Amino acid sequence: MNRDESRNDLGVVRIHKNVISSISSIAAMEVEGVKSVAKNLKSGLLEIIGQKSFSAIKVDISKNEEVKVEVPLIIKYGYNIPDVAGRVQENVRQALERMSNLSVKDININVRGIERGQQ
Amino acid sequence: MRFLTVIGIVFYATVIIVIGLTLIVFSLNLLLPQDINGLLIFSQSSQNSRIIIGFCGALLILISFSFAQLILGKFQRERTIAFTTSSGQVTISLSAVEDLIRRLAGIIPEVKELRPNVVVNKKGILVDMRVVLRSEANIPELTSRLQDITKSKIQEVLGLEEQIIIRIHVAKIVHDEKDNRKKKDFEKEDYSTIPFSGYGRA
Repeated sequence: MNRDESRNDLGVVRIHKNVISSISSIAAMEVEGVKSVAKNLKSGLLEIIGQKSFSAIKVDISKNEEVKVEVPLIIKYGYNIPDVAGRVQENVRQALERMSNLSVKDININVRGIERGQQ
Repeated sequence: MRFLTVIGIVFYATVIIVIGLTLIVFSLNLLLPQDINGLLIFSQSSQNSRIIIGFCGALLILISFSFAQLILGKFQRERTIAFTTSSGQVTISLSAVEDLIRRLAGIIPEVKELRPNVVVNKKGILVDMRVVLRSEANIPELTSRLQDITKSKIQEVLGLEEQIIIRIHVAKIVHDEKDNRKKKDFEKEDYSTIPFSGYGRA
């Protein structure tokens, strides 16, 4: 299933997986201590050609409309990882529920790295 | 995902077998250089065959990329520390922990270079560190300090109370040329900035 859909009197409203992943990405970036959402090969290649993609965020929508999101993150140096991950989970859940009315089952955080560069 | 892995493995096995067979046939003199030459000339002679060969090349590159990503992704997924919260699972890549430890080299001036390798097993978190020290360092004192700092940093940042074993291997002790140069420059400056310092007062 590629998109979540809901029906009202006028027709069907479909929410694409990309929408869910971009909401998750923005919500994750709002949390203090998050440097960026980690990229994968596909999103890296798309970024080279000037397209913004959140394909690194995996979204699964089950048949009973439960959403499962996996967010890969790069965390800033010096922050407590479980604390930041917990705040990201909470912020992503709130954002998804507020914007899409979806019931979020799992928000899995995958910390891929610590910010490199300046100390 | 498993289906793609099988296709990738079969594809690579086939390519390697074909290369192997070609080499064997070539070594047995069953395939002559003229034949290869003729085949290459034939394949380059028409535009259609060139287009097909070009597409095959591009396809091979794409398959290699996706297969490499699949394998690397699998390896990355295996090397993690995981814990579960009420909202879902949190996995921390061990390379992230390695990044964190690598940054400790900036905190301790006597450490010139630091290469950590983090492994997680039943005993706990095992950190193997390969360090390059500057010549003025007191090794027992420094390594013990490094172990303490690393341990407390991991506990502080990861918030885990698992046993952390830190092994340090001093790989090299380097003579810091920059410091020596600075010292020499300073001595020279000190000597040259006092004009007529050799003369006594009348």
